[in-house]
Amino acid sequence: MHDAAPPAARARALTKIYGEGDTRVVALDAVDLDIEPGTFTAIMGPSGSGKSTLMHCLAGLDSSTSGDVYIGDVLITGLSDRALTRVRRDSVGFVFQSFNLVPTLTARENITLPLDIAGAPVDEEWLATVIDAVGLADRLDHRPSELSGGQQQRVACARALASKPAIVFADEPTGNLDSQSGAEVLGLLRRSVDEFDQTIVMVTHDAGAASHADRVIFLADGHVVGQLERPTAEEILARIGELAAPRGAR
Amino acid sequence: MLRVAIRSLRAHRLRFALTVLTVALGVAFIAGTNIFTGSLRGAFDALVSQPRADVTVRAGATDGGSIQATLPESLVAEVAALPGAAGAVGVVSAEGAYVLGADGTPVGVEGPPARGRSWVGDASISAVSLVTGRAPSGPGEVALLESTAQDSGASPGSTVRIDTPVAGVREYTVTGLVTRGLSGGLGGTLAVFDLPTAQEVLTEPGTVTAILVTALPGVSQDELAAQVSALVPEATRVETAAQARDDVVQRIQEGFAFFNTFLLAFGVIALFVSTFLIFNTFSMLVAQRSRELALLRAVGASRAQISLTVLLEAAIIGVLAAAIGLLGGLGVSLLLRWVIGALGADLPGAPLTLTGGTIALALGASLLVTIASALLPARRASAIPPVAAMREGAATSPRSLRRITFMGLALVVAAVVPATAGLLLADSDGERAAQLTGLAAALGLVGVLALTPALARPVLGLFGALFRSRVVGRMASANAIRNPRRTAATASALTVGLALMTAVSVLGSSARASVEDVVDSTIGADFVLIGPGFRPFTPEVYDAVRDLPGASVVTYVRTIPVSIDDAQSPVTGVDPAVITEVLDIPVVTGSVQDLGLGSALIDTELAQSLDVAAGDTVTGTFVNGEGKLRIVGTFEPAGPVRGFITTLPTLNSIGTLTRDTAVYIALQPGASPDAVRQELVTRLAAFPSIDVQDQADIKRDINGQFDALFGLVYALLGLSVIVAFLGIVNTLSLSVVERTRELGLVRAVGMSRRQVRRLVTLEALLLAALGTLLGLSLGLVFGVLLQRVLAPQGISVLAVPFAQLAVFAVLALIGGLAAALWPAWRAGRMPVLTAIAQT
Ligand SMILES: Nc1ncnc2c1ncn2[C@@H]1O[C@H](COP(=O)(O)OP(=O)(O)OP(=O)(O)O)[C@@H](O)[C@H]1O
Ligand SMILES: [Mg+2]
Repeated sequence: MHDAAPPAARARALTKIYGEGDTRVVALDAVDLDIEPGTFTAIMGPSGSGKSTLMHCLAGLDSSTSGDVYIGDVLITGLSDRALTRVRRDSVGFVFQSFNLVPTLTARENITLPLDIAGAPVDEEWLATVIDAVGLADRLDHRPSELSGGQQQRVACARALASKPAIVFADEPTGNLDSQSGAEVLGLLRRSVDEFDQTIVMVTHDAGAASHADRVIFLADGHVVGQLERPTAEEILARIGELAAPRGAR
Repeated sequence: MLRVAIRSLRAHRLRFALTVLTVALGVAFIAGTNIFTGSLRGAFDALVSQPRADVTVRAGATDGGSIQATLPESLVAEVAALPGAAGAVGVVSAEGAYVLGADGTPVGVEGPPARGRSWVGDASISAVSLVTGRAPSGPGEVALLESTAQDSGASPGSTVRIDTPVAGVREYTVTGLVTRGLSGGLGGTLAVFDLPTAQEVLTEPGTVTAILVTALPGVSQDELAAQVSALVPEATRVETAAQARDDVVQRIQEGFAFFNTFLLAFGVIALFVSTFLIFNTFSMLVAQRSRELALLRAVGASRAQISLTVLLEAAIIGVLAAAIGLLGGLGVSLLLRWVIGALGADLPGAPLTLTGGTIALALGASLLVTIASALLPARRASAIPPVAAMREGAATSPRSLRRITFMGLALVVAAVVPATAGLLLADSDGERAAQLTGLAAALGLVGVLALTPALARPVLGLFGALFRSRVVGRMASANAIRNPRRTAATASALTVGLALMTAVSVLGSSARASVEDVVDSTIGADFVLIGPGFRPFTPEVYDAVRDLPGASVVTYVRTIPVSIDDAQSPVTGVDPAVITEVLDIPVVTGSVQDLGLGSALIDTELAQSLDVAAGDTVTGTFVNGEGKLRIVGTFEPAGPVRGFITTLPTLNSIGTLTRDTAVYIALQPGASPDAVRQELVTRLAAFPSIDVQDQADIKRDINGQFDALFGLVYALLGLSVIVAFLGIVNTLSLSVVERTRELGLVRAVGMSRRQVRRLVTLEALLLAALGTLLGLSLGLVFGVLLQRVLAPQGISVLAVPFAQLAVFAVLALIGGLAAALWPAWRAGRMPVLTAIAQT
């Protein structure tokens, strides 16, 4: 069944250029990328390599300079703000590094936020499943300020999953967490792929975090410079070392 | 630190501009009135050089208002023959010369007098001077005040019809246009005739109303005045030029003092309202910049320096607001001047001057407001620990509302004491009662303002419940509740303005209802004939309608002023036989029918203040001298008749011009009011200035005056409401900036621009709703209290103008919507990515 389905997200010759003249920065240089449905993809690379930019462009948060981006079958490049918003609302889930939750809403309200915004009915059964998966059933009426950082990120994961989006993007979701909380969040993401067939793209600096992924894509200077399937943390570290060496030699 | 302050202001340009604007509005009002008063002073100086006779003799023991006393013209020669006099000129000046417009109705007589006077050839003593044309000479000629000519469509060479007390309507040729100084009085109309014509149409031949006396060289004004005083009858006022000048100056100053205080009060209210706004702005800026300020502390700035930066910012705002306010003040004073000019007075040689005093006042008021409202935020800023610089999102912990709520409760409870005292005193000491009510209102207002943060949560929760089902609504109400103090301060600005407007509105509608009540219960007549502006008119009117077919009673009343112990009261002469058929006089003791020559009823209030009772005799000064009234009973001062009621022969024995104040007409049963009115209009064709009114007309007339007054008050209070809306704009746009990341987040997870705009708009609506609710409730309480306290003064009926209050509420909500436009637009336009990327 997976083979027949189109990629959850696709980038074709995706280029993003910031600034002009002296300040011109090519953040992404003709990137081609397919994200298969039901997979967990990690994006790695040195700081400034374009990871966040790639993710923002894929997710419809930012517009590309040239090239095409598809979410499922939908070409999102050139869509109006309104249409883009609808794509984000209905087809994309997000987990950011920090400040993921609306402080005035309870955990439960935060989780159902995209559904509420859309005015869509909440699938209570699915919601219970998700909440159960993130293990926060007893914290639902708390506000974000009453939750730990790890709990907040888990609520954010639950929010990303609650609307059953075609794809979930996570930008360093564990960047601000201790290893214990980080592991909880990563485990949760992994399980949502395994158990719920969720598609996840995650940006990370941490080889350990990346080792939870099915595939790791390496980015440098706006280019995809390599990838590993189901790697261990050691393999990832080794590859990072390889990639860094010629760079240093330049 | 100055650099830090300026940088910060520059970074928050918009907020800064809004804050300056709100303060400047209030300052403009205060400065404007001050500049205007200053330029009036210039006018007084010009007055000194204005031509004026050394000594002026005026007929009449008191200022009879529209009742004009006279002197025999023969007295002019006697005065001129005095050893100290170089010459004397007789003058006639009286009210009631109605210049008719093209449509046959009198022009510009709604309030101020319509005066006629005689031309004085000697320019060195004449208060009136020619602008164009020539002086009037002969029975068919007249010169008009420029504004009067304009209003009536007359010009030199054209003819104009004038209705005078003695001669009725006649046509005159306009020979010229005149102008007059401040001493000529403000507003109204003026027609100038030659002396014989003035006597013929205004008083009677052989009489004058004043004599202008010139002193021989070497004779002082006081000497001359003493000589004149010895010669003229007792009921005459003798004034030197210096006294007259002081008189005029005092009269004008008193007139404007009220006007000034009135305007000043609104300026102060607007400033008071803007303190909330400034307080809020600074609180929010300090909260937003807490990390930056903590950093400053970490790198070695002292607490005092931090406070100082904030206060410096406030001071810069204050100075700028003062400057803009002063400019605005010039505009306001020009406007005031234009209004006064439109009323028909030119202010001679009164340039608008910006004195040091005005500048100091504007600066002082502005700085006081800005610095005082920045004090607390400054203290809070200095309390930020340096370590906050290291902490992520140094959110200020919500401080407990307990203290401020307790204070608010205490104030509200304390307000009950003067409120109760005021109610208890209402009957015995109206003035004290009003003061106590004012005190109660002030305490209550401040109390409620202090309670607002605590009230915000339940009230907004209630409103929020309306759109609880939508996430946008939930977020909006949650946001509004997030910082109760800020919400309260924003809403409070609106509360103050709306509370005042509501109180005025309740008072206004109660006053209207009371008047209608009085008209219903006291005027039994079917028709009343009155002169323009309730001024007396010729008895020919009565003669023309006395045998009106269909009428059962036609009777007239005359009212003249009497001065007792320096206080003036009206004395009304009636026909005791029939008056009760057209007027319900609420007699307490005695009876109207038993009134005879020399006896009178007194109203209970006046009886109390003069300490007289039935059996006593009251001596007072009438226009033509002293007179006595024997009190035989009392009546309640409820209807149109106040002071004393006596018989017409008694009034005539005291001696006045024969002028009627009103003619009352009651119909025979079955007579057609329309037919009678038709007949009345036909019969009164020769008296175009006389108004035929039935009860509905009377009510409409009085209510029209109320409406004009209250309209002005609303307009002025509107100023503070505008400030309040600017406050909402400011708070919201700050709060949007504060929530950049949150808004970015919700945009990222799929909230559309429109939903974000709706979110901000809903929040504005909630703020407006809170302010409106509190303002309306508070205003309602104030209004009812005031009505109760003023009931003995005549506002006896309480009428709550629900429709009008609903309009206020709707307008306030629309204002809230309008205030949200810009912040909502900004929130919607906020790029998602930068919002998220911001750390
Ligand atoms: N708004 C912007 N304007 C100009 N240049 C930008 C902007 N955003 C990113 N860049 C540049 O684009 C390049 C890629 O940035 P990006 O944020 O994608 O890097 P990253 O791989 O996410 O880095 P990090 O690991 O530090 O988060 C960088 O050189 C960055 O300086
Ligand atoms: Mg990044």
